Amino acid sequence: MTKPSVIVVGADKGGVGKTTVSRTLLDYFTAHHVPTRAFDSEAPKGTLKRFHPDVTEIVDATLVPDQMKIFDTLSNDESKVTVIDVRAGLLSPTLRALRDIGFLDAVKKGQITFAVFHILGSSLASLNEIEETAPFTVDARYFLVKNYVNNTSFFEWDQATHAAYFNKLKDAVEISIPKLNEMAYEQVELASVPFLTFVANKGTNGEAANYSFVLRGYVRHWLGNVWAEYDRIKLNDIIGAAAAANGARAQAARS
Amino acid sequence: MAQPTPIYIVASPRPRVGKTVLARLLVEFLRASRRPVAAYDLNPRDPVLAGYFPRLVTPIDIADTRGQMMLFDRLIARSATTRIIDVGYGAYDQFFAVMAEIGFVREARRRMIEPVVLFAADHAAITVRAYADLRRDLPDLTVVPVHNEFVSVTCDKDDFPPTRAACRMLRIPRLSQMVRGVIDRPSFSFGAYLVATPGTPTEIHDWIAGIFAQFRELELRLLMGTLAASLAGGSGAGWQDRERM
Repeated sequence: MTKPSVIVVGADKGGVGKTTVSRTLLDYFTAHHVPTRAFDSEAPKGTLKRFHPDVTEIVDATLVPDQMKIFDTLSNDESKVTVIDVRAGLLSPTLRALRDIGFLDAVKKGQITFAVFHILGSSLASLNEIEETAPFTVDARYFLVKNYVNNTSFFEWDQATHAAYFNKLKDAVEISIPKLNEMAYEQVELASVPFLTFVANKGTNGEAANYSFVLRGYVRHWLGNVWAEYDRIKLNDIIGAAAAANGARAQAARS
Repeated sequence: MAQPTPIYIVASPRPRVGKTVLARLLVEFLRASRRPVAAYDLNPRDPVLAGYFPRLVTPIDIADTRGQMMLFDRLIARSATTRIIDVGYGAYDQFFAVMAEIGFVREARRRMIEPVVLFAADHAAITVRAYADLRRDLPDLTVVPVHNEFVSVTCDKDDFPPTRAACRMLRIPRLSQMVRGVIDRPSFSFGAYLVATPGTPTEIHDWIAGIFAQFRELELRLLMGTLAASLAGGSGAGWQDRERM
C-alpha cells in the first residue's frame, strides 16, 4: 500500500482559474496512470465535476459528513491521489478544518503526503492570503501558482513587495500556468471534456469529435507547458507516482 | 504506395523579393500539369496573388484565431488538391509560430500531406537569420531555398544549407527589363504562354520551361525521399513525440 496523497487546490478569491489548475492536475495524473479521485467543493455547481464526472464528487469540506467522506477513506480507497478543489474563499477555513480533525498531525507524522496549490490573484490582496494560510502548511508541500491562463490581468506586485511576502514561506515553490488561446479555452469549455480528451479529439463519452485542429494544437502545446511545470517541481516524485502506477497495474492484472 | 500530397508554402521574411512571382509560377506549373490547385494569400491588405487568380486564391488574415482555423483546419484535411500558401513578410513570423505551436508538420505527415517551404533566399542578413531560425524552430520541415536573381545577383549557398540532401537550392534566373514588364501584366499566364508558343525559343519560353523543369525535379526528389524513408521503415518525419501526448 502506497502512502496516500492529498492535494488541495484553492484560492481565497474567485475567478483566478483555480478549477483550471485542478483539471490540469487530473489530466497529468491520468497521463501517468496514477489512480486519482477529486472532490469539488463548489456546491452546487461543481465545475470540476462537469469536466471530470467519473472521478469527481461534490462536497463541502467544512462539513463533518463530507470531511468523513474525504478523509476517512484515504487509506482504503484505490485512488492514490485525492485532489480537493476548494471553493473560492474557503481555503483558509478548509485548512483550519484539516488541522482540527487531526489531518495535519497525520501529515506531520509522515502518514499522508500533503500538497497545497495556492492559486494567486493579480492583486496585492492575494498576497495577504499567504499570511493567513502559512500557519497551516508548515508540513505541506506548498506551491504558489501564478495563473496566466486567461491573461485578463497582470500581476501588479513589485519585486520588493513580492519578495517580502514570499520570503515568509521558505519552502514555497512558484509555478506559472501560461496563457491559453482564448478560443481554444472557450471550445474546451463548450465541449465540457478534460483537456486531454479535447486534444485526442474525443467527446464526453469517448466518441470521435470534430474539434478544430488548430485549437487542439493550442491546447496540446499549452498543456505540455503546464505539465513541464509539474515535472519541474517533481510532482510525480512527491506523490510517489511510480509506486502508485505500478500498484494500479498490479491491481488491474489481478482483477 | 500512396503518394503524399504536397502543400507548398512560398515564404519570405522580407518584402519585395519576388515571392509572388514564385507563387504564380508554382500555381501555373501545377495547373499546366492538370492537377487541382487551391491557394491562400496571407497578405490580407495587399493580396497580390489573389489578384492574379481570383477564383483560385482565398485571402486569409491569420492575425486572429479564426483566420488560423480557416487556414490550418483546411490544410490538414485530406485532399487530392495541391495547396499553395503565399506567406508575405507581414504574416511570416506568426504563420511559422502557429505552425510550430500546433504541431502541424507531424500531423500533416501522419495524414500523408507533406508541407514544403519554398524560401525566397537573398543575401540580406535578416533573410539568412530567418532561414536559420526556421530550421531551428521547425527542424522536421522541408525547406527549399529559392534564389531569385531578380532580387540579388549573388546568393551564398552556404547561408542556406538544405534541410534534406535532396532539396537543393532552386534558381529563378534574371529576365531582361523589357521582358520583365510582360510577365508582370495581370493577364499574363506562364502556362498559356508555353502552350501558345510551343518549342519557340523566346527568352520567356526558356525562362518558364527552365523553372518548370526545376519544379518537376523537386517533386521527383521529394517523392524519392519519401520512397527511401518508406523502404528504410520510417515515415521520413523523424518526429519523437512526447509519449503521453
